[in-house]
Amino acid sequence: MTGTTTQSGTSAVAGAVQVASGPLDRAQTRASVHANAQGRGTVILSVPGIRCGGCVATIERALRQREDVVAARVNLTLRQANITLLDPDSDPMPIIEALAKLGYAATPAEIGTADDKADPVGKNLLRSLAIAGFGAMNIMLFSVGVWSGADGQTRETFHLVSALIAVPVVAYAGQPFYRSAFGALRLGRLNMDVPIALAVTLALVLSLFETMRGGEHVFFDAAVTLLFFLLVGRYLDHLMRERARSAVTGLARLSPKGAMIRQNDGSLAYAALASVSPGAILSIAENERVPVDVRIVSGGTDIDRSLVTGEAMPMAAGPGDTLEAGTLNLTGVIEAEALRAADESFLARMIEMQSAAESGRGRYVRIADRAARLYAPVVHLLALTTFIGWVLATGGDWQTSAFVAISVLIITCPCALALAVPVAHVVAAGRLMREGVLMKDGSALERLSEIDRAVFDKTGTLTTGMPAVVSVPDDAAIRSGARALAARSVHPAARAIAARLTDLPGLVTDETEVPGFGVEAMVDGRRARLGRADWVGEIADISQNAASPAFAFAGGTAVSFDLSETLRQGAGQAVAALTAAGIPVSMLSGDMESRARRVAGELGIGDVRHGATPADKIETLETLRRDGHLTLMVGDGLNDAAALAAAHVSMAPSSASDAGRTAADFVFLRDNLESVSATWQVARDTARIVRQNFGLAIAYNCIAIPLAVAGLVTPLVAALAMSGSSILVIANALRLNRTGKSHPTHRAAPITVQEVSA
Amino acid sequence: MSILTFLIPVTLCMGAIGLAAFFWSLRHGQYEDLSGDAERILHDDDAPLVPAHTPRPPVATKETTK
Amino acid sequence: MMSNLTGAERTTAMTIAGFGALIGLAMAAAGHGDPMGVHGWIVLAFFGVLFFIVASALYSPEPVEDRALSYYDDPTKVGIILALIWAVVGMFMGVWVASQLAWPDLRFEGAWSGFGRLRPVHTSGVIFGFGGNALIATSYHIMQRTSRARMPGQISPWFVLLGFNLFCILAASGYVMGVTQSKEYAEAEWYADIWLVVVWVVYFILYMRTLSRRNEPHIYVANWYYLSFILVVAILHIVNNLAVPASWTGAKSYSLFSGVQDAMTQWWYGHNAVAFFLTTGFLGMLYYFLPKRAGRPIYSYRLSILSFWGIVFFYIWVGSHHLHYTALPHWVQTLGMTFSVMLLVPSWASAGNALMTLNGAWGKVRDDATLRFMMMAAVFYGLSTFEGSFMAIRPVNGLSHYTDWTVGHVHAGAMGWVALITFGSIYALTPVLWRRETMYSWKAVEWHFWLALSGTVIYVFSMWNSGIIQGLMWRTYTETGTLKFSFVDSLVAMHPYYIARAFGGLLFLTGACICLWNVVMTILHVPQKAPELDYPTSSEAMEPALPAAE
Repeated sequence: MTGTTTQSGTSAVAGAVQVASGPLDRAQTRASVHANAQGRGTVILSVPGIRCGGCVATIERALRQREDVVAARVNLTLRQANITLLDPDSDPMPIIEALAKLGYAATPAEIGTADDKADPVGKNLLRSLAIAGFGAMNIMLFSVGVWSGADGQTRETFHLVSALIAVPVVAYAGQPFYRSAFGALRLGRLNMDVPIALAVTLALVLSLFETMRGGEHVFFDAAVTLLFFLLVGRYLDHLMRERARSAVTGLARLSPKGAMIRQNDGSLAYAALASVSPGAILSIAENERVPVDVRIVSGGTDIDRSLVTGEAMPMAAGPGDTLEAGTLNLTGVIEAEALRAADESFLARMIEMQSAAESGRGRYVRIADRAARLYAPVVHLLALTTFIGWVLATGGDWQTSAFVAISVLIITCPCALALAVPVAHVVAAGRLMREGVLMKDGSALERLSEIDRAVFDKTGTLTTGMPAVVSVPDDAAIRSGARALAARSVHPAARAIAARLTDLPGLVTDETEVPGFGVEAMVDGRRARLGRADWVGEIADISQNAASPAFAFAGGTAVSFDLSETLRQGAGQAVAALTAAGIPVSMLSGDMESRARRVAGELGIGDVRHGATPADKIETLETLRRDGHLTLMVGDGLNDAAALAAAHVSMAPSSASDAGRTAADFVFLRDNLESVSATWQVARDTARIVRQNFGLAIAYNCIAIPLAVAGLVTPLVAALAMSGSSILVIANALRLNRTGKSHPTHRAAPITVQEVSA
Repeated sequence: MSILTFLIPVTLCMGAIGLAAFFWSLRHGQYEDLSGDAERILHDDDAPLVPAHTPRPPVATKETTK
Repeated sequence: MMSNLTGAERTTAMTIAGFGALIGLAMAAAGHGDPMGVHGWIVLAFFGVLFFIVASALYSPEPVEDRALSYYDDPTKVGIILALIWAVVGMFMGVWVASQLAWPDLRFEGAWSGFGRLRPVHTSGVIFGFGGNALIATSYHIMQRTSRARMPGQISPWFVLLGFNLFCILAASGYVMGVTQSKEYAEAEWYADIWLVVVWVVYFILYMRTLSRRNEPHIYVANWYYLSFILVVAILHIVNNLAVPASWTGAKSYSLFSGVQDAMTQWWYGHNAVAFFLTTGFLGMLYYFLPKRAGRPIYSYRLSILSFWGIVFFYIWVGSHHLHYTALPHWVQTLGMTFSVMLLVPSWASAGNALMTLNGAWGKVRDDATLRFMMMAAVFYGLSTFEGSFMAIRPVNGLSHYTDWTVGHVHAGAMGWVALITFGSIYALTPVLWRRETMYSWKAVEWHFWLALSGTVIYVFSMWNSGIIQGLMWRTYTETGTLKFSFVDSLVAMHPYYIARAFGGLLFLTGACICLWNVVMTILHVPQKAPELDYPTSSEAMEPALPAAE
């Protein structure tokens, strides 16, 4: 529900989906329709509630029956509906409402999703994979023929045909590796692709030479099969990242894409974010997020800055107050003047800080590349030594010597080594996804397994951001009155009160909500107010420094409701699990000291920093880094985004701000915070498997290298050894799926529509 | 085995046709929603889908429902 | 049937039939005194009957409603019935020749009724008559449903279906007259082969045209399996039947290749026929009807696509495992063996995929014999592909080859896999196709299932036993190094198993008869049911229905 859902999400229970219907939403939804080449309108709706083929059929059937829809196609994988509208100017809102009636919450998907869906990189990899597969298959046919005894003319013909297939195949399918290897070499580095590219090239050159010479042994099949295996790994790796990426973009946006601008003639018009200039007067309705930094011109309201600053409790705002972009307007409609353009707003500054903070992480070198730095020089030196040794031993037979030296390079080509990491990560990502955790890339998993410290944001991370009432007044009349008034407001405090009190509410008449102050009405014939303490004090007796919100009947005595934050489910367990594993947990909050201390106390977190600005948060993490700590940061707010990027590795809940979700390495979809410790456990398991895989690859080399140096490696041996070791490594990685079942976490809790769309 | 000089090119050609078919399917978005496509055959439908090459007004398509 | 054709289409059909009849007449005249002359009369009669059927309905009312609003199911219906008739005929021949092996007197002293002539009638009858008709009929059904479009044209589907049956008739009648080019599963002579090429090309064009008219953007995986079946069988058929007729007025022809080259071509064809006729086509059937019947999507759609490419690539070179220990170069044999073993991976992926689809719907499998047919088919597919890979290993083949083990293996695949999946699909299809509430008798389906299963098991086990005994007897030496058993000794040892085999085949045949009866009774006696949601989406391409053959 674009731009309007509160952090906790409006209700999205099947059959009773509410449609966000503010003016900004309508305008934004309308702006999401694009004209296509045939002069029709197209819109892509993200419908997270699509779960099965039945949903697909229901939605498509319902949509196609509409007069304004030309075509509708649902993508079950992406959970999107691709709709062609009769008229490019038509309003998709009725369609969204129709879907809501069926029980499906729908929001326009990100602009550009249509292009992203084409996924050119993935298609390219798949094409390379198909070419390599085709080549490997056919060359294998000739190789098997030769190994089985085809000789003489037949063998030479087979070698020639293999060469004709292998050269274009390697030229095409080898590109990802060549490009990556060149890139690394140009920067003066070594990565895993350097030895791979070298081995494949040398295998090809040697085989071409042998083919021309009429030699007995060619390695075409080894070269192409190697590419095939590696491309499989690379494609799976890509697929995993692509899936996580599309899932994250599938989460509804929280920040608005545009604003309603008051025109000179007094009417309102929608403008895209980029065209909102300073000085423009915006109209911001209740339940909308502030699009750019503004100063309120008229109107009063309550605002929720939890995503912006980490302050948990809503506060009142009125004319003259400045609001940061991303602040949620809770209760009243306000007119406000834009202070800065979108690209200079608070949100943009946060993203700037975030990219600055990210550069620190660029220093991280993935484990496979670290291995390559050791591995490549050793192997290449070994090949050189072999060459020299053979030249000396054979008395200058450089042809044989070169053959043996190159076969050393081929057999040591780090096929298994290059598969050891990505395959394990792909399996782990699949397991995490089943547990409702999206992982952006494999390096995140490596980094997570190394952490020695965890830092949590408070509001929205350790807590849900929804307040709860601590104590209930004794007077039944007051309870009944307060409940009656609370039910009339959408203010989070009012909702908390209404949820906590169970008394029969009194009869309410003549109600008014004064944004920024509270609700006033006649309850059972008596005037009553629920809201800010000083405002309630105007009609009743109230003690000095009474807390808000308060309730009183006119002339009576005011009662304050003590609000506290609710802890996120599983917060205690997650903190305990990490602490028990020897990882100290700290809290880093932008909120007031008292609230921070209270939550920390409940969770048993000793190290608390409160009132932290975004810059403070980065500073804290930088300090930890300088002290040699590898920190996990878990946070959700805009103010956390930079810190998430600065940390060694980071996680965010799906309810986090857009910037926070983008910055984090992992996004967990379930409300339960135990996802954090569970993910960490998976990362540890994966690291163990990766280490085992490296062990297997090294063991393989220990056997293969002496054989190769001795000149005993034929293409058949090479093919068997390399495929064998690759399959072994893959099989070992698959064990990750099984270990996943041995300690089930909170799998019982399904990911609900609400969680995804919130 | 002179026959192989005949059979091998024939087979390679068949393989090439297969490869071309795969590329065609890749280019035409056949693999974009595999889970959805597996489900679709279970739901016979009488509602019109618009052929990709010719969009038409929906009014004309409503009649197709018997 | 005719009411679906316009006047112009009826005229076109009559023209084609008339042209066919003329060719028949020409063949009859040219081939006078040769079996080809008899075939000429058959062709003349076949097209004459078609001509008469069309002509008699030439002026009956034309279709009034827009034909594009419904699927074209008439050819499918006829195809299903023809498949079942061929099943009964072909399986009867099978039981007969099996009985001849047990009781040689059953030949009745006729030249035409010898084992050598009747056996190809059995194999062609069940593989091409039963399997081929079932493949064509189900492919018509599946390509229309998964494309959500009607087939283009009204005549080309008939041309393909009836033309194929003419080929089957020519083949079967030729065998009885002693016409054969002595290539297993490709015995039919040159003119029948040419005719099949024409029919097959029309079939391919028809399929492609239907796909190009599709209203559903995605091409369901079953279509890929069917397409590979059509395309590759065309190429295999052409290559293997390259032959020079001894004369244009006679049936006899000589293969273009000779000796071991010819043998290699024959088994390149032979095993690829197993792959692309008896496997991919029926996998297409499985991938459509199994999920449909079980009401759940295929377990892994991705895997079904992957195993498609795996099967297509691996199968191509396995044929030479039929020529272990022959004049074929050793390395070509090894090549075939290696690929045969690797083929197990995509084969088991398919079988596993099918069974995993049913995982979670075992209740349905227990209650629904139709689904059980499909489940058993997948099981037999897995078993016989494993057995096949195993038997392709040269030393194993040394024991199994030329023995009844091979026959048992083939029948595990043909009865257990091909026939069971076909029967399951027919039971799933019949009520949908004829818009009937249900099959006439579910009890009969249940009976058929158990008859078919026990028939297969009895058949396969008896052949395993006899095959292994045979193989061992043939390679048992005395201390002096001579063979211990004469050939006749082994034949005597086979006798009980041959009786068991004939009995298993009889059970299977009985099941097929029950199936035919049940389908006919369903059509005749089960009340109509208004169909829900089984119409094509309207297509823009409302082209005139021209037969692709023209």
